[in-house]
Formats: sequence, C-alpha cells, structure tokens
Amino acid sequence: MAKIKKKGQSGAAKAYMTRTAAVKKLQISLADFRRLCILKGIFPREPRSKKKANKGNSAPTNFYYAKDIAYLSHEAVLRKLREHKAFAKKLARALGRGEWGDAKSLEENKPVYTLDHIIKERYPTFIDAVRDIDDALCLVHLFASLPADQKLPSSLISNCARLAAEWQLYVMHTHSLRKVFLSIKGVYFQAEVMDQTVTWLVPYQFTQTIPHDVDLRVMLTFLELYQTLLGFVFFKLYSDVNLIYPPPMDSEKDAAAAGVGAFSLQDTRKQTDSTSETAQNSDAKRISGKDVRRLIKTIETGASTSEKDVETAAVSEKNPTESNADDNFVVHTSKSKPDEAAELTTLQALSSLPQSTAPKLFSPFTFFLSRETSRPLFEFIVRSFGGRIGWPASSGTGSPIDETDESITHVIIDRPVVEGTQESEEEKRRRRRRKYIQPQWVVDCVNAGRILSEEQYEQGKTLPPHLSPFGEERGAYDPSRQADAEEDDDEDAMEEEGGVRTADAEDATPLDAVVARAAVDSEQLRAAELEAESRGVDFGTFEKKLEKAKSKKGKSAAPEAKKIDDESDMNKMMMSRKQRTLYEKMKHGERKHAAEREHMEKKRLKIKKDKIQAKVP
Amino acid sequence: MALNLANKSKKRKHTVTEGSKSLASNEFSDSVGLDMNSDDEEGAQEDGDSDEEVEEFPELHPESSDDEGSGSDEESEEEDEEDEGSEGTDTAYDHDERPGVYPEPKIVDSDITGMPKKIYPEIEPDYDSDSSTEEDPNRVGNIPMHWYDDLPHIGYDINGKKVLRPARGDELDKFLKTVEDPSAWMSGFDKNTQSDKPLTAEELDIIRRLYAGENPDAEYDPYEPTVEWFTGKGKEEVMPLSAAPEPKRRWVPSKWEKQKVMKIVRAIRQGRILPKKPTSSTSKPQFYNLWSTAASDQPPPPPAPKTRLPTNAESYNPPEEYLPDDEERAKWEATDREDRERDYLPHKYSALRLVPGYQDFIRDRFYRQLDLYLAPRVQRKKLNIDPESLIPKLPSPSSLKPFPIYRALRHVHQSGNVRCVDVSPDGAWVVSGDDQGLVSLWEVLVGRAVKTWNFKSKVSSVRWCPRSDVSYFVVGVDEHIHFLIPPNLSSSLLSATQNLLAPAELPAAPDVPSPVKWATKPSFDITSHASILTLHLPQSTGLAKQLTWHRRGDYLASLSNTESGSVWIHQISRRHSQAPFRKVKGAVQAVQFHPLKPHFFVATQRYVRLYDLSQQALIKTLTPGFRWISSLDVHPSGDHLIVGSYDKKLCWFDLEMGDKPYKILRYHAKAIRSLAFHATLPLFASSSDDGTIQLFHARVFNDMMTDPLIVPLKILKGHKIANDLGVLQIRWVPGQPWLVSAGADGDASVWCT
Repeated sequence: MAKIKKKGQSGAAKAYMTRTAAVKKLQISLADFRRLCILKGIFPREPRSKKKANKGNSAPTNFYYAKDIAYLSHEAVLRKLREHKAFAKKLARALGRGEWGDAKSLEENKPVYTLDHIIKERYPTFIDAVRDIDDALCLVHLFASLPADQKLPSSLISNCARLAAEWQLYVMHTHSLRKVFLSIKGVYFQAEVMDQTVTWLVPYQFTQTIPHDVDLRVMLTFLELYQTLLGFVFFKLYSDVNLIYPPPMDSEKDAAAAGVGAFSLQDTRKQTDSTSETAQNSDAKRISGKDVRRLIKTIETGASTSEKDVETAAVSEKNPTESNADDNFVVHTSKSKPDEAAELTTLQALSSLPQSTAPKLFSPFTFFLSRETSRPLFEFIVRSFGGRIGWPASSGTGSPIDETDESITHVIIDRPVVEGTQESEEEKRRRRRRKYIQPQWVVDCVNAGRILSEEQYEQGKTLPPHLSPFGEERGAYDPSRQADAEEDDDEDAMEEEGGVRTADAEDATPLDAVVARAAVDSEQLRAAELEAESRGVDFGTFEKKLEKAKSKKGKSAAPEAKKIDDESDMNKMMMSRKQRTLYEKMKHGERKHAAEREHMEKKRLKIKKDKIQAKVP
Repeated sequence: MALNLANKSKKRKHTVTEGSKSLASNEFSDSVGLDMNSDDEEGAQEDGDSDEEVEEFPELHPESSDDEGSGSDEESEEEDEEDEGSEGTDTAYDHDERPGVYPEPKIVDSDITGMPKKIYPEIEPDYDSDSSTEEDPNRVGNIPMHWYDDLPHIGYDINGKKVLRPARGDELDKFLKTVEDPSAWMSGFDKNTQSDKPLTAEELDIIRRLYAGENPDAEYDPYEPTVEWFTGKGKEEVMPLSAAPEPKRRWVPSKWEKQKVMKIVRAIRQGRILPKKPTSSTSKPQFYNLWSTAASDQPPPPPAPKTRLPTNAESYNPPEEYLPDDEERAKWEATDREDRERDYLPHKYSALRLVPGYQDFIRDRFYRQLDLYLAPRVQRKKLNIDPESLIPKLPSPSSLKPFPIYRALRHVHQSGNVRCVDVSPDGAWVVSGDDQGLVSLWEVLVGRAVKTWNFKSKVSSVRWCPRSDVSYFVVGVDEHIHFLIPPNLSSSLLSATQNLLAPAELPAAPDVPSPVKWATKPSFDITSHASILTLHLPQSTGLAKQLTWHRRGDYLASLSNTESGSVWIHQISRRHSQAPFRKVKGAVQAVQFHPLKPHFFVATQRYVRLYDLSQQALIKTLTPGFRWISSLDVHPSGDHLIVGSYDKKLCWFDLEMGDKPYKILRYHAKAIRSLAFHATLPLFASSSDDGTIQLFHARVFNDMMTDPLIVPLKILKGHKIANDLGVLQIRWVPGQPWLVSAGADGDASVWCT
C-alpha cells in the first residue's frame, strides 16, 4: 500500500506561500519586503487552485512561489536592509543621548547597498537588459521633468536628467530612432538598439503634480533600480561605439539650458592611444613575433577600411554643414565599424526591422525652430535623422546656427499666419527661400520614411490626421486603408463613367482579367503575378487589384457562400464543447471588432456628408 | 508621633498574646499585672523577673505597671486601641469631638525619660465602655442590607426581635422633606437603620476635606520635622567598613585595553581599517562592463510584459471619426476607471502647441509599476488561428443524397395531437393514431384515409407487424393492445393473417396462468371496425405507451407507463405473454429488441441496460449521462445505438467501445421526442418539441479502427408547435429515403427527396 499523504505537506500547499507568511519568514517589514520584491523582480503567482495553495482557505490572498522567497532570504540586499535597521536604531540612540561624535561616525559608516549583482541576475545577457529598458526610460524621462522638492532631492532629478540626455545622445549618435508618435499623453519614440525595439514615452514639457493616491516610495524604489540598470546599459552601449561613459558635462552650458548640448561625446581611442603608447614604450622589449603578426593583420584590415572611410568622407563633404552642426558631437569612423556591423543583418533581423529605415532622412536639410516649438523634442528628432537644427536664444543656448543663416531650408513654426506684418526686404527674401512647416511634418516624414510634400503642412493650414506608426490591432478599424479604398472607388467610378479608354487603360484590361481569374484560383495567382511583373506593374497596385477582384467575386458568389455558411452552421453541432466555446469566443471578438469597424465607418461617412453639406450652401 | 505609633503596635502584639492567654490563666492575671512572655510552664516563680523587665522598659505605661494590678484594665484599653486601628477614619474625630466617650489625655513629663507623655484617665470596664455598638438596635452585623429589601423588617435586635422597617415616604415626601427641613442637606441615608441620619460636624468636615483634596485626617501634619536616628550630626561613623588596601587596577592602565587599542592602531596603519571613507567614491555608483563575465547557466526570468503600443485614437490629431460623440463621452465618464476600455478620451488639437500636459501621466506610470510588482502573471498562449478552422470538415450534404428535403403531403387529423405513426413493411401504407382514439390508415403516395377506426380513447402507439407473409398492425389503447387487419388484402394474405391471429384451434394454455388475457372475436368480419384479437394487460398497468416488434414478427414487447413491472413480451404464435423482469430499477422509458441477437435494450431514466433474453442475464449498462432518457433506437447492424433525452441531447453509443457515449450532440432547442434509424440507408433522424426534424448521415464502417461518420444533413421544418409539443414520432418508409412524421399540430406528414 502506498504511503498515506498528509494534507498540506506536498504540492501546491508547499509550492506557494502567502505574502504574510513570506514577510514572517524573512523577518522584515512589509515595506522592506515590497522594496525587495521590486528590486529582485519577484511578483505574485496565481496558483491553479487557491484553496489548495492556502491549505483549505479560499480567502483572497496573494501567493508567491515558496522558492522565490527562499531565494530572497539569501539576498545580500536583505542583509544590508537589516544592517540599516540596526544602524537606524544606533543613530537614533546616539542622537537621543547627544553623542554627536558617535552619530557622525555612524553616519559615515552607514550601510549602503549596491544593485549590481541584481542587475546581472535579472538580465544575464546584455540583450535581456536592452529588451527591458522601456519602463526604465519612461520613468527616467518623467522624473527628469519633475520639480525637485523635499521628497525628491535635486540630485535625483539631475541624475535622471543626465541619464535621459545620455540616452538621447546615444540614439542621436547611432541614428537608431525609428518612429515618433505625437499623442495626447506625450511623445512616443521607438528606437532600434541591438536589434531590439525600445519604445519610450516622454511627457510634454509641463509641470506634473504628483497625485495623492500615488505611493512615491514605490516609484522611488523602481527609480533606484532603473538608474542602476540604465547606468550599466549605457556604459556598455557607449563603450561598444567607443565612447567614454559617462560623457563629461559642461555645467556652464547646462546652467544656460543647453540641454543635450551640455554633454560632449569623447572617443575612447584618443585616450587609449596615448596610454597604449606609454605602454608600448615600457613594454617595447617584450614584443613577440605573435604581436607582430597581429599588427600586420590589423594594418591589412585597416587598409581595407580606410578606403571606405574615404567614401564616407566624400559623402560628408557633399553636405559639409552636417559636420559643422555636430561640432560638439564628434563624428568618428571607428575601426570596428559599428555601422558596417549593422549592415550585416541576418534574415531574422530583417524581418523584425521596422519599415522606416532611413537613418539620414534629414541630412540635406537645415531646420530652424520657431520659439513656440519644443526644442528638446525637435532637436532630438532632427539630429537623430541627420539634420541640422538651430533655435533662437530664448529656447536655450548652444544653437549652432543663427536665424539669418543662409543654409536654413525649413522653419518649424507652430503659429497661425498673421497678416499685415511689416517685414523688411531681407526678411521677405528669406521667407520666400525657406519653407515654413508645422511640426507634424517632421514626425510624419519620420514615420513615412521619406520626405513628404510640404504643401499640406504649411503654416496655417489644417493638418491631415496624425496616425499612429505602430498600427492598429489586427482586425481593428484602419483609417488609412479606408482612405485607400475610397480613392480606388473614385477611380473606378471615373473609369466607368468616362467610358473613354486610354491606351494605358486598354493595356491594363487583360491584366485585370488575369487578376480576376487569379482571385478565383490560387494556381492562376502565380501566372497573374508574372503577367503583372512583365507589364511593369508594381506589386502594391497588383495586390490592390487582386483584392478588388476578390471582393467583386465575393459579391457574385454571395448565395453560394450562404449555402456553405448553412452547411458550416450544421457542422458546428459536431464540435466538442471545448472547441465550441473557443470558437464562440473567437467569433465574439471578431464580431466586436466588426461592430466597431462599422461604427467608425458610419461615423466617417456621416462626417464626410456633413462636410459636403456645409460646403454646398 | 511615629514613636507613639510604634509603641502602640508593640503593645498590641503583647495584648494579642495576652488576650489568648488570659482566658487560660485567669488566676495569674489578677496577681500579675503584665505578662510579657507567654511561658505558662515556667509558672509563678519567674513572675518577678518578668515584672522587673516590664518596669525597665521605659515606653510602657509606667503607672499601669506600678499602680494598676488588674489585667482587665489593660485589656479594655487594648480593645480601644484595636478599634482605632480597625475603624480607621472614625477614630480621628473620636478623640476630638467626643470628649464624653474618649476623655482628654493629660500630658505629663515622664519620670524616666523626661519627655512629655500622654496619660489617659481610667475607663470603667463595664459593658457600656464599648461605644461602637451601644446605640444601634439592629444587630445583624456588617452584612449587605439589601438582603432585607423584600422583608418587612431590617434585622434583629439584641433580643432576637425583629426590627421593623421604619416608614419611608414616597419620592414626593422625600422632596418635601428636603424643602421643609433646612438641615436635609446635612443628612445621609444609613443602611443599617434604613433611615436618614444627620451627619455630624466632623463627618461634614471630612466631606469638605475630601472635596478640597486634602487629607481627611484633620490631625495629620504633613510638615513634621524629620527625626534623625542614624545619620546627622554627631552620628558619623569613624571607622571604614573594610581595611583592605586599594587594588592596583584602580590606578594602573589596563593591559588588555591597551592590546585592543593597539590592534586597531595597527589595522589603521596597515590600511585595513579606513577611519574615514573617501566620500567621493561612495556617493556615485561606479559603472563598469557588467556583462563581460559569462552569464550563469540559469535561464533568465521571463521578461515583463510590454505595454500596449498607442493606436490612432491616442494621436493629438486623430481622424475625426475617432472623436467620441456626446453619448460615448457620457458613457466613458460614467464608467469606473478600472472598467474603461481605454484610459483616455480621444481629443483633436489643431496644432501641437495647443496640446496640454497629460494629467494622469504619473498615475499611469504608477499603475504600470503596480502591475509589475503586485499583479500575478499568467502566461497565456494566444491562438492565432482562423476560427473557421475549428469547424470539422465534413462531406457536403449534397454529396450524400438521397435524403428527404421537403414535405410531400400532409394527412390531417382534425382532433390534433397525432401521437403515433407507423409504415407498413412494404412501404405503401401508413397508420397514424391520435389522442382522440382515431386510428387512420392511408397510403404514402396519396395521403387519403382508406379506413379509420375509433377507439374513443387515447391511442398511444401503433406498430405494423414486420412479417411479409401476413399483414396486420397493433394499436395500443389504454391497457389494451388491439390487433387490426387492413382492408383490401389479397385473399391468401388475409386468410394467413386470420389463421395466425384467430386460429381454429387455440394452442395449449400455459402451465402458469398469465395475467394477460388474449381475447379473440369468435366471428371476425373484415369490414367491421373491431379488432380481430385484443390483449388485455392486467389492470392498473396503465397506458401501453410503447410497442415494439421483434424482427421476425413473432414477439411483441409492450411497455406501460407504470413505475415497474410494465414490460411484457407477447408471443403471437403461442398466444402467451410473459414479464421478463421481475423488478426493474428505475422507471423504464423505452425498450427495443436487438436486430440480430436475442438481446433486449431497456432504457430507464438514466441508464440503458442490455439484457440477454436467452441467458436471462444483464450484459451491459450504458451511461449516457442524461437526466431523462426519452427514446432510443438501434442501428440495423446492431452495434450502434442512439439515445435521445428530454434534456435536448442525443448520444451515439458504439456497443463495442464501452459504456460511455462515442459522441454527444446537442442541437435541438427542446426535448427530443423520437429517434429512428433507416433500415437500409445510412440515415437517421431525430424529432423534437421545437418542431423540427434533424436528419443525419450516419455511416458505420466494418473495420474496428474507423469511427462512425456522422454528418448533419438537413433540418426539416414545417410542423407547428402546439401545447409545447412538436414532432412526436418519426418513422422511415422502408426501402425509400422518405420520412413519415406525426406532429402535435394534427399533421401526419410525408417528407420526400
């Protein structure tokens, strides 16, 4: 006979632990337990059966893995927290007794914990860490914009501001920004770093008030962790592109609101060269044959890279303004060639790549910011895409170009046109030469991956809608597709109404026929594709045609479809209950999406009709 | 004063010992004034010594030892002293305010010590000398007086007589008394006498003192000068307590301490202990290449889920259709923060400079953090499949023709509620019976009644005998089963049938008389409307609700709707009936013969049991898992069984596979009434109270490995629902893919391809 199992000795009862039990086991306060959980990334688990996990009690509680708690009990930070508790007692005692000297020496030897090992534990590889810095960047950017007070020491705020600036510098330096979205919550940025997409949200520059129901202690604990994490990540990122970390900050410039310009990126090789020289002098006698061979090898590769260097130099000569703009932002050509490494992408990296990969989109342009636009935002975007940018002195010092500079091609302006201003001849001339565009143009260009026409975005014009570059959920309403469909319909109508067929249209008709056939049969799809290719129709239009043909076909085949639908309805009764519920759930989601889509479509049509009606009278 | 008290307490001690002794040695007490030592054994010879001792002791009453020889004096005085102790506060005023009771003491300089001392006058040792009890008539003592609350008296006097309760007025009297008597405020209620007593001046004084927060004792002096007994001037000790020399450790520095200090000093010199840490390095965290060392083997913890990326609705300048109208806005504002689908309302700004700061930015971040460290995480697999792929791929019904599609004709029963229907084995005739007792015979192709029989009572079942050499059908009406011969038979067939049902010579009667009566009409006319043979089931078996034939047509099973003992098997050739089951567990719902073997299916409410009739044994119990089975039918191969239930479900059993259903189908909206397998084609149908008939293609394979294929074919609609009843019975037309159905709306219909 098998041994009788005792209740509560194995299984879920052993594997899980309630929070109260965990706090009791670790012998710390709840606040310290929370802090430890935040730092170690331990979160509650949902047992399959709460009753079994809680020894027959079904009261709502939070459960942790018992192993997680056992793992916490060996944590170095936990020991330090206990030491800190003892220290706090000693200090209070010394202060109470008026033993100032003792108190001072205690304060000097206060236990301080470091989080290095925790970072390494939570992110064993660098890629893991980069993958998880989204939240860290959000929080750091938020705290960088908060005012300092008693609860938030100014050192913390300035450290956050420094980290935010360092990240922006890195992104600008590597041109890794991909997408920007101006939302009502703030500005979303998406960059691609080490083949990982990093998305972060930066609030608009307004003073934030901390709500009362927000526990600042929790946020500060997270911030503590995130500061350390970002420090280590930035160190690695900077040193991978041969930059010194931390970049030295010019406090004078910082005080004059230079923002990112207060930091200067420095190449590590300058330093290492000098140090290696001295090392060579001292170790001159110990050079072996192996070293010589290695040296020869490096010279060879250096020769090959130097050719490319020349090429890039030629490119940069074409627009010399760029290098001028980045005078505090030394563009260097490294021997390890990080750009080249980025070019050697794997198939997987290619597939995961965002669509807009035009890292030097704005390199031919020079921008000037009007004073009502946000400098940090547009400085970051424009410089990330290789453009030059200047700003008036009211937006901070450090502008590389003046307003009167002849090279300025675009002025980012965000105010309505004022009629009847008196401008000098010079100003008028300048106004004619430059393009005055609204800020959305910059962001839309970035998201589109190409330079859009400035016409729609000129000063004072009603802007086209700003759509999310991250797209919608699958099956949700997509305004851009609706717009496309509308255009197509218009085209169709025109073709049909006109009745006059150009040679081009005649040319297209056989293709249409082929496409229509392709919509029916998948085998003919390939033939149709080949046909289209031979005619020089690009793939996008081909696909559109195919879709249209399919929808037409769908309309004609409606009764047949209905019959098939009936059959499948009958077949549904042969599903098992599990499958049926799953099916119903999925169908429910689809219906919901469809209803939403329909609702939006209705709204759109109504708005359109209203507009037309408003125009007619 | 302190001295006095000490004296008194000493005295008291003596008297306690003496009091106990005085009773024992009365003779001595007269002669000996003060007996200090309680040594009775030592006798009188030592008395003198003790006297001397007493005289030597200065604090005791010198006069008493000198002048008074009586011990009783002493005693009385001691008693007074005791009173003082026990009564506490009482004694304080006794001295002052009752000079009659306690006389003033005289203050005299002592001869011996020369200090002043008090001398009290003599007290007569008679009964009245004790003042404490003299005036109280009530002698119950110090007991809770509420014991006497219900009694007319308040205690007993010294003679044992009842002390009656003094009359006390009501509240009004009390009030008037307080108004009239100016000294009422100075009186208090005495429990012992149950009456008001005026307070004495000293009592009032105590009350006043207590009010003022003073010591209640008027005599007490808190500022008495201290008396120094052991310290003070002239009492200093001259010699130290110990003459030991001062130890060396008091003035030589400690060697151990020196060693400890030197240890620290050496550590500081060697740099092991930093007396002051450099502050610059501690204030800033040093960053280094953390990932230069190899990662541990352990898998990294799963990354935290990322936040959802923003959609078009969150844009500062979204397309206009995203903007909420008033209704949506009101709805959004009315819902709680947790219930909202999105945590913001879309808003359109014409320019970027007009976009305000987002109010909930910090809160959003905070909730995200709460999610990160407080929310349990569950890994969910997201199914990325087309829901249509879940629907099983079955052959198209159009490829499985023929099966009935439309209603070809209707045979209407005027009374409604056609309960039962059956088709003749040659597939040409249909019999239908209704609740009014009307049984009509009609042709499948025409639908017109050829002949009707009226039984004046509810026809519960009709069944055509499956034999082809004879032609008749049976009708179950109440507790009777009527055997009817259809008209227009060929003469040979008619005579064969008549011979079978009404033979010239009856077979021998069974040994055990059966309760079922077989009654044959002696002279049968084919044109008459009477039955040729009638089976009378025993009384109170109830309605014969189901009749079913064995495949050979010799055995007929009938099922009545009583609780038990309701199954009968009748053998036509032997004109014999028997009840195969003595007792059946549960109410039997349906019975069926196995098409090939001598087996018999019995469906109770929950289970279907399969019995071997030849062995008389239970073979199998099937559990469909339904609440209430309504009907069952056996596949012509005999290996498969379908069971329908009133809880809308149908299940398919493979008899080879065990007692659990192979498939459970639930598609009817209401209870299933009837099921039927087609005898030759792979078809079966089910009818339900929702007024529909559902057709299925059911192909059964010969090899054991392939599961039966069940394909839903068509839903036949046409019957109306009457009194919550739909299609009550269905039968297939033998040899044709046609279906005959009996509906509660009074129609018997034929469905054709």
